[in-house]
Amino acid sequence: MELGTSTPGGYLLVLAILLPLAGIMLSFTLGGRNAERVALGSTPFGIVLACAIAFEVGQAGKPIVYTIGGLPPPLGIALRADGISAVMLVAAAVILAAAAFYARSKFATPDGVRESRSALTFWIMLQAIWAALIIIFVGGDLFNLYVALELLTFAAVPLVCIDGRPETLVAALRYLLFALFGSICYLLGVALFYGAHGTIDISLLAQRVQPTPVVWMAAALMTAGLLAKTALFPVHLWLPPAHANAPAAASAVLSGLVVKGSFFLTLRLWFFVLPALHTETAAVILGGLGSAAVIVGSVMALGQARLKLLVAYSTVAQIGYLFLVFPLASGGAQTWSAAGWSAGLMQVLAHAFAKAGMFLSAGVLAEALGHDRIGNLRGAARVLPLTFLTIALGGLSLMGLPPSGGFNAKWLMLQAAVASGQWFWTLPILVGGLLAAGYVYRILAPALSDGQVSLKVTPMRSQEVIALALTMAAIVLGFAPQAFLDFLEIGRPVTASSP
Amino acid sequence: MNDLLSILLVASLAAPLALLGACFVKRWRQRALALQWLAPIPSLAAGLIGMTGAPLSRDLPVLGFTLYLDPPGALLLAVAAALWIVVSAALWRARRPDGRFGVSWLLTMTGNIGVFIAGDLVSFYLVYALVSIPAYGLFAFSNDSEQKRAGAVYLAFAILGEAVLLLAFVMLQAGEPHASARIVDVMGALPASPWRDAALGLIIAGFGMKIGMVPFNGWMPLNYKAAPIPVAALLSGAGVKAGVIGLIRFLPHGVTLEGWGVALAAIGFLSAYYGVVFGLTQRNPKVILAYSSISQMGVITAALGTALLAGHADASFNVAFYSANHLLVKAALFLTIGAFATRGTRLSPVWFALAVALALSLAGLPLTGGALAKLAMKPQFDGGTVGLLATLSSIGTALLMTHFLGCLAEPPSGAAEECPSGLVRSWPAVALAALLVPWAFYEGVGGDASKALHFGEILDGLWPVVIGVVLALALRRMAWSPPDVPVGDSIVFAERAYLRLLNVGPVFEGLDARLRQWPAAGLSLLLIILSLLTAGVSGR
Repeated sequence: MELGTSTPGGYLLVLAILLPLAGIMLSFTLGGRNAERVALGSTPFGIVLACAIAFEVGQAGKPIVYTIGGLPPPLGIALRADGISAVMLVAAAVILAAAAFYARSKFATPDGVRESRSALTFWIMLQAIWAALIIIFVGGDLFNLYVALELLTFAAVPLVCIDGRPETLVAALRYLLFALFGSICYLLGVALFYGAHGTIDISLLAQRVQPTPVVWMAAALMTAGLLAKTALFPVHLWLPPAHANAPAAASAVLSGLVVKGSFFLTLRLWFFVLPALHTETAAVILGGLGSAAVIVGSVMALGQARLKLLVAYSTVAQIGYLFLVFPLASGGAQTWSAAGWSAGLMQVLAHAFAKAGMFLSAGVLAEALGHDRIGNLRGAARVLPLTFLTIALGGLSLMGLPPSGGFNAKWLMLQAAVASGQWFWTLPILVGGLLAAGYVYRILAPALSDGQVSLKVTPMRSQEVIALALTMAAIVLGFAPQAFLDFLEIGRPVTASSP
Repeated sequence: MNDLLSILLVASLAAPLALLGACFVKRWRQRALALQWLAPIPSLAAGLIGMTGAPLSRDLPVLGFTLYLDPPGALLLAVAAALWIVVSAALWRARRPDGRFGVSWLLTMTGNIGVFIAGDLVSFYLVYALVSIPAYGLFAFSNDSEQKRAGAVYLAFAILGEAVLLLAFVMLQAGEPHASARIVDVMGALPASPWRDAALGLIIAGFGMKIGMVPFNGWMPLNYKAAPIPVAALLSGAGVKAGVIGLIRFLPHGVTLEGWGVALAAIGFLSAYYGVVFGLTQRNPKVILAYSSISQMGVITAALGTALLAGHADASFNVAFYSANHLLVKAALFLTIGAFATRGTRLSPVWFALAVALALSLAGLPLTGGALAKLAMKPQFDGGTVGLLATLSSIGTALLMTHFLGCLAEPPSGAAEECPSGLVRSWPAVALAALLVPWAFYEGVGGDASKALHFGEILDGLWPVVIGVVLALALRRMAWSPPDVPVGDSIVFAERAYLRLLNVGPVFEGLDARLRQWPAAGLSLLLIILSLLTAGVSGR
């Protein structure tokens, strides 16, 4: 594989990174109401750029590369977009745009004020998250990715405590401290890799890695750091309070995208840096943690009294499914491994869209009713039909019923589990689906039954439509053709690691 | 002809979906719901045309769905569509159910039509979920605690069935070497598949939950008791047949699988008798009909079992005919409850005679459609032990249905209001249709209806019915009082077990709270690092 040279279309990757960075600069310098205008104005361009990158990758049939300054690694820095990067870029751009337009009313700078702290923070941090995610998706060396990971954390934390209530400050602090633990672990791992092999470029490392204790230590440290930031059970302590207390638009981005950023790096580490090693046992450990997350997260969601906390615990559970990709796709050249790989990515996308839509709906609901206590939702679907349609469609995907991306993910995951003879993974997948049905039922059944609920505020139709559009994306993923799954395979190393 | 049929098949799904789409526009909603009785017309036409001739398979572009229609499916499709048309038209004429009911109705209808024509695993799974899950909205959006309970139990079984079938379908798919998802292909590959036995077990359990197979029978009496009469008529008539078509489609044909055949026949006959015995303990006519459904679905299961035992290839058609008869008669019997409750004591002898014929048709009373159904099943229950067991089940059915007729005098509260007035007025026509329509189809699908008119055949059909009726009358005369069995029998144990299961909630909450402490989280992180390191260094 050629490493050093830029490919046609590679400049698009630079543009994609520069767009939100320029947006941040402009927002800082212009300040006030302009921050909102810049953020809202740049999102459509971001979507176009992401689609252009996806188109280029699809056309080329292999990753597109840009080497900064024309210097090939290990001296220079390479940006690379393969199938999964391209798809994640599009998903991130769409969800961020949706969240930004949804948040317009809440984070508008009030009339008569030149600049409001919370509005400025929100718009700048949103763009910072976007920039960080793009670098994570196209970054080609581990240290760059570290910087992006830090940027992601430092941009996400202020969003949690943006309204300054004491409990949000506590939640944000918890998030920050634990994420920093994760950062330290990750950075130590990167240092060990550099010490052992003299490079931190992903492709070069993949060629050089040897199964030495140092490499394993590096992998273990980096993985643990990333798990802490992804909030995989049992290191999920910060997620429920942080995601449940943030404003709805922020929760949607945090739950839909930010945790996927660190998960994406975990994929990069195990499938792109270490594919040549025997990773079966480690994969089983990760899958086991994921299974535990599915069960514990779902049971906890069943018991929550508040809708936003329920949705947050559902995120803990759905993150668990993601980690089943490690045992189910680790077979390298095996045929079932492709199903496992597609399943993992399908789950990332379906959850991102469905959960973002659900958090936005929970926001509409809390605003309109003045509370989000599940016990008081009796008859609420009559006054908020569109919002409950959104929750139902999102729930469909979370439960894994067709037609939805969630169903496709489960279908492929089960297929990989059965075909590879790894029976035990079918159990958490199926039980998780049943439990998800339970918590979706808890929301929908009372809301649809007879009862009188009065609206405090009339919900904004535009917000409801944005949330619905996001969950519809999760439903449309259920009709994804084989070509889409093939696209996800572009650039994936298929070195067989099993004998 | 095939082109016409393909168009009709597409229209069968497109018509209800178009009306469903119209429901999302507020101005069109009421109009669309009022017109939904028209939606099954393409299905009716497709069913009538497809009943004869070779199976037809069509792949839909873009969506990736396959539509498939064979004569057994077409027969069930036609009668189910007819039932949907009649009940929808009458219900929306009599009153105007609200939007959530209407949408649930349309979704269930779409799924119900879909199960008979879905030709690949994924679309079958989709329409099967549609016929199962939205039906919750037809009876459980209420504040009545019994209805809520029935809804929750129904949904629990529906979702559990979906999960079981998902795994089964995944195994079917995994066993197909060419990655085709067409049901015909995966079933062709099943006998040689390494996952054959696991898949079959899951298929029987999954569809068994839909047809109230013992021990998954508890939801059915609760559901039909809670559901308004038109809903119960549709769910018991057409809805349950989703499980039957599932078994027809996903059990191998023309292959002898002795173990599975014996198991299926045994559980089928067990359900057949179980339904009769527990039905006799009940007084609510709706509940008795539910137990009768459990029993009749048991007969169907047993027939599929004997077919598997003998390797019969053509059993699916016989079973479909038997189910089609059950579909019509059971729906008509539910409407009978409403019609009789409305009429009260002003009953003409003609009405009473029709009700008797209808009820005993299930037991195979000569000259009714039930006699033909029994004739159709004969190859499955030919002689020996199974013949005797089948006759015993006929006697039991006659006994149970006589008990039902006796209980008609005390209808459940609300029965008179639930039944649309149009159906009450035209009840004799409905009952007659349920008795006679099978005769029209039997000839059409290649059966010889004149056989059912032979003296010997009539005598054969008559004596089990007479014994059953006499037994029932004797029990009545003796004023035998049955033990007090709760509606849904074993379901109370399942509910108790479920409540006990809820106790794990606090355990998990404690675990979660402890793990979310800082020291615990730090320790977890450390353990993750160590275990990954050991996993790597240990070399595997």
